[in-house]
Amino acid sequence: MTAVSIQRLSRAFGNEWAVQELDLEIASGEMIALLGPSGCGKTTTLRMITGLLRPTSGDLLFDGMSVVNIPTERRGAALIFQEHLLFPTMTVAQNVGFGLKMAGVNKAEILSRVNEMLDRVELSGFGNRKAHELSGGQRQRVALARGLVTRPKVLLLDEPLANLDANLRITMRQLIRSIQRELGTTAIFVTHDQEEAVMLADRIVLMFDGKLQQVGPPDEFYRHPRTAGVAKFFRSQNFLSGTRRGNIVATGAGDLVVSDTVIDTGDGPVIITARPETLRLSSGLNEQNSLAASVITSIYMGTHTQLIVQLQDAVWHVQAPPSTAVKEGDQIFVELPKSEIWIIEDEPESFALASALNDE
Amino acid sequence: MTLSSNQQSLKKMVKGRGLAERHPLNWTRWITVGVIWIVVVLPLTALFLRSFAFRWLFPDILPGQWGLRAWDYTFGESSRVIEALLNSIGVALLVTMLAMIVGLPTARALGMHDFRGKKVVEWILLTPIIVPVLVAVMGIHIVFIKLRLTGTIWGVALAHLIPATPYFVLVMSSVFANYSPALEETARSLGANKFRVFRYVTFPAISSGLLGASLFTFLISWSQYVTTLLIGSGTFVTLPLVLFPFLGGGNAAVGSAITLIFVAPAILVLVLTSRSLGRGSTVMGGFGKI
Amino acid sequence: MKLDRYSLKERLKIPLMVFPSMAVIVLLFGGGLVFGLLQSVGYLPVAGLTDFTFSHYVNVLTDPTFLRSLWVTFRIAFIVTLLSTIIAVGMAFVLREQFPGSRISTFVFQIPLPVPHLVAASAVILLFAQSGLISRIAVAIGFIDAPSGFPVLINDKLGVGITLSFVWKEVPFIGLVVLAVLQSVGPKYEELARTLGANKRQRLQYVLLPLIMPGLLSTWIIVFAFTFANFEIPLLLGQTFPQTLPVQAFQEFQKPELTSRPIGMAIATVIAAITIVLLVAYRRLARYSRA
Repeated sequence: MTAVSIQRLSRAFGNEWAVQELDLEIASGEMIALLGPSGCGKTTTLRMITGLLRPTSGDLLFDGMSVVNIPTERRGAALIFQEHLLFPTMTVAQNVGFGLKMAGVNKAEILSRVNEMLDRVELSGFGNRKAHELSGGQRQRVALARGLVTRPKVLLLDEPLANLDANLRITMRQLIRSIQRELGTTAIFVTHDQEEAVMLADRIVLMFDGKLQQVGPPDEFYRHPRTAGVAKFFRSQNFLSGTRRGNIVATGAGDLVVSDTVIDTGDGPVIITARPETLRLSSGLNEQNSLAASVITSIYMGTHTQLIVQLQDAVWHVQAPPSTAVKEGDQIFVELPKSEIWIIEDEPESFALASALNDE
Repeated sequence: MTLSSNQQSLKKMVKGRGLAERHPLNWTRWITVGVIWIVVVLPLTALFLRSFAFRWLFPDILPGQWGLRAWDYTFGESSRVIEALLNSIGVALLVTMLAMIVGLPTARALGMHDFRGKKVVEWILLTPIIVPVLVAVMGIHIVFIKLRLTGTIWGVALAHLIPATPYFVLVMSSVFANYSPALEETARSLGANKFRVFRYVTFPAISSGLLGASLFTFLISWSQYVTTLLIGSGTFVTLPLVLFPFLGGGNAAVGSAITLIFVAPAILVLVLTSRSLGRGSTVMGGFGKI
Repeated sequence: MKLDRYSLKERLKIPLMVFPSMAVIVLLFGGGLVFGLLQSVGYLPVAGLTDFTFSHYVNVLTDPTFLRSLWVTFRIAFIVTLLSTIIAVGMAFVLREQFPGSRISTFVFQIPLPVPHLVAASAVILLFAQSGLISRIAVAIGFIDAPSGFPVLINDKLGVGITLSFVWKEVPFIGLVVLAVLQSVGPKYEELARTLGANKRQRLQYVLLPLIMPGLLSTWIIVFAFTFANFEIPLLLGQTFPQTLPVQAFQEFQKPELTSRPIGMAIATVIAAITIVLLVAYRRLARYSRA
């Protein structure tokens, strides 16, 4: 069942589009990551969903009903702020119970629901503390409990883990994920960290410059990026232009066989990509999909060795086993497994230009 | 992915200042703005009209005849306004200078160091701000007579220092609290001597705060009435002392003219410092003394 | 011993920095309070008074005139604080948002702050005297037809003129404190409350008022103390009887016969005692709101 439906949602500030024609259907109980670099419009989208910001055009539906004209306070979209904002004048229990009090719920019920929620976020017994007596992680858990206690139609989280240190981030991720699953809450969270998006979300929504780039489950972004920009955001720089004829792509470095499941682009110029961690070093050109390359740099990384190699006119990254003993200037052969090659949709000409500019 | 700078500034706009959205003028805002302008501008306008009115009979809303008689009298010999004006300026400058000399080191200590007895120092500074200065000046009057300080600019300046010093110190200590000593240390490590460190590092960093604090310290002295009345013993007169009799039933036109002279520096100071007012709330601590 | 000299210099650094201003305040202000206290208990060698006595306090505290003055002073300070707060908070809530003319209006709002109290009194006389500008406007509109038809607002029984002058001065003071708090808090807490279902009234009651309360309480104390102790406004705009405490103290003090000085000083000491209570309350609040 669709819980939240975003239809051609747009927002302009002055003459600039912050969000342009965003379309998205979110299923009930789903966890969505709105991912993108800072300034891409993800926070604007979140604020439009809460109602704190009016869209310039487009529609927004909760459970099939348009909520564009319903004010924030009656919309039922709870927002967890990045700054783990707690009301400084209230205790933890008063903070968590705030939404219930506003709704006129009686005191006894507030108390029991607050305590139940504090249990869930592992803060039982903290009810009488003040905000300033809590650590960053505890504050964020209180904020989470406060957002969830009213059973919102959708829970929105704005960079919820950005201000926490690395270890805390991992435990908080697990906590957020498990509570969201247990309660079956529909949730959208904003992040600029692709790793966080991958670990938390059922589906990722990637935005650049106010526009939707790709929507799908996390592994799609690694294995089947739609554009070079998407691949780059997920830390892959490996692109090679060639000419496709059926399942064969002829590149300057040699012919490559691609899988039948790769998207149908028709014959003609294409750009192929393959992730660094799927590449293998092979013994020679006689093996399928092996290309000759020369090593630019080899960096030992502990768990693997990162090779930067020249592949014709392109620079590729290869994640080789840690024991790989190659050095600068060595000639090697890189195998691109057939099933790991993907064709991206960028226009080859514009891509060549853009990548030349970007790599500077 | 390169981002246009427009997108960046947009983000700042959206994230940082949700309320920076401009609102239209609804009726609440119209009424508030209207009340503010009328309540502030009307009194000043009335003073202005009265000082230039030659004849203003009841119930005319505007004067029937205009004239400079009140201003002529104000700047004439017999009103003592010129003498009082010079005294006011002189004593206010003297007070500001003295407050700066005795106050700057303390302000720096309070703003940049933690030390034993800091609480006591803060108490001592706060006391003259809340406990009326009048009480202390009445008490010390007899000592000033003995020391032959009554009726002199020095005596009056010392009396004005009571409200001026704590105010100056408290404002400047918050200026120093926002100032990082790392800059000074860097300058020292690069071979600057103490004087050069002050001249090129410390002074530029605190100068705008210092200017604001000094201007308001000037105003505190400028607006003192009862302290000057008591310690000046009638021989040392300042502007408010000359003004007072005109308000209690004297010539209203002359009273208005002197009031306008009396209010001018206050408005000038506000124009010069309005930027720092809203944020630096400490600057406001002394307003009740004006 | 070089080491010792350095550490001595270090140890003396802060006391030397603090000394000048402390000397000024302790000698002039503290000294003044002590001399005042001595005079109030009858120690005034110049007038030949050297006997310690509490009789002046007894006389003052049992004098109906004093008690009426005390009541008048309290009443005025209380009304001024209350009125100023209501107006100031309302205006601060409007002025914190941006709308056409909000910046210049905020500037105009601040104008009374640095303006001397005497100027406020001067303007109130021009506007609110029976033949003042407001009275003339009332005639023009047709509400009244002679100055005598206009209510007595200067030197009046209720202290309307006094209250108006003080409110004119104190509204921007309180308003700017509230405005500063509201601006430093920003819109986040309200947005948060909205997403949790709080309507406009609830946001005001449960979010904004608690946030501005600590600042407001300490500002109340300052405003109350200022109004309580001001001299020139009640002298100019108040009744001749009963006067406010500072006026009464000063006039007793100024009487030609030196023997009435102790009475003036006793009244002044009472004023000081009341404000010291306020000072302690202020410090308590400052500590409380920081915690």
